[in-house]
Amino acid sequence: MLTAGPGKKVGIYVAEDQQYHGSSAYAAILDFLFFHGVSGATVTRGIAGFGADHHLHTTNLVDLAVRLPVKIEFIETAEKVDELLPKLQAMAGTGLIEMHDTTIVKPAEKKQKQAERERPALKRESKAKMMRIYIGENDKWNGKPLYEAIVNGLRSNDIAGVTVYRGILGYGANRRIHKDAALNLSHDRPILLSVVDTEDKLKAFMPILDQMVQQGLVVLSNVDIIKYAHNYEKAERRQEARR
Amino acid sequence: MKLEGKAKLLRIHFGEDDKWNNKPLYEAIVNKCRELDIAGASVFRGIEGYGASSRIHKAHLLRSSDRPIMVSVIDTEENLKKLLPALDEMVDEGLIAMSEVEVIRYVHQEGVRSSAL
Repeated sequence: MLTAGPGKKVGIYVAEDQQYHGSSAYAAILDFLFFHGVSGATVTRGIAGFGADHHLHTTNLVDLAVRLPVKIEFIETAEKVDELLPKLQAMAGTGLIEMHDTTIVKPAEKKQKQAERERPALKRESKAKMMRIYIGENDKWNGKPLYEAIVNGLRSNDIAGVTVYRGILGYGANRRIHKDAALNLSHDRPILLSVVDTEDKLKAFMPILDQMVQQGLVVLSNVDIIKYAHNYEKAERRQEARR
Repeated sequence: MKLEGKAKLLRIHFGEDDKWNNKPLYEAIVNKCRELDIAGASVFRGIEGYGASSRIHKAHLLRSSDRPIMVSVIDTEENLKKLLPALDEMVDEGLIAMSEVEVIRYVHQEGVRSSAL
């Protein structure tokens, strides 16, 4: 049994369909850990990823969906890990193994309480930047509407907020009029995303945006934040009511 | 067409009902922008608002709707200056505001949109 104190955390990345001696590699590794007295291990299946071969495996592509990434993670003492590593390396095959020092604050005994959600600091009355992104409604990113993909990207980068507007008429770099034609099924109206956050955070997102926006316009301007507040109590009450 | 560095953002606010030569004013403005080779223009329709006349603009069930319209145009100051006299003539009632922006990216790909229409 693990005790509180220093330990090692090992992560092994394999593909879901990877084989080891006729059975799936992740199951073989999990069995190996189980029968060698490791105090606990977790197998997580990714929903998308890429590895050394640089092929993107996602659940969206049926033929690549079987090669989804699987991660096996366990925490043990340094001595135990040293003992297991040679065999694990053989089992992981082409996969990757990483390891780092960790501190066991509390060994697992019973269910842990979920950590309090981090609350972003309220910002008010400060200088910030507004980024406006002009794209078309039909623009796609990995099969999804580009504006949705950008909103998801911004959210995962902890950007303060974004609003998507749909225009009714417009034209852009390619001189083609984008219009909401009543009889035309493929609506290609102009889309504007307006994003507000500090310059640093927006600058950090730009390389990602650069890849996503194949055509369009991105501009930046100065804004003053007057108020940016979120009522946590109200939001929590609303969530409880939904349950 | 190239657009980079410092540029200006022009926003024109008026009502959906506003006309120019019997055509919707927003269409006339976008056409004028194209005529003058302005880098781009987009028209947005609001859901409610009021303006210079303190008349609330919102959708009407029976009458034609008069919701607020905002046309946003981005280009260099020099190019937008060419547009201003025309706008002055066309916009009888409304607001035209200009602000500074920095262009991060302005790109287009030949043929990307060709399948869209």
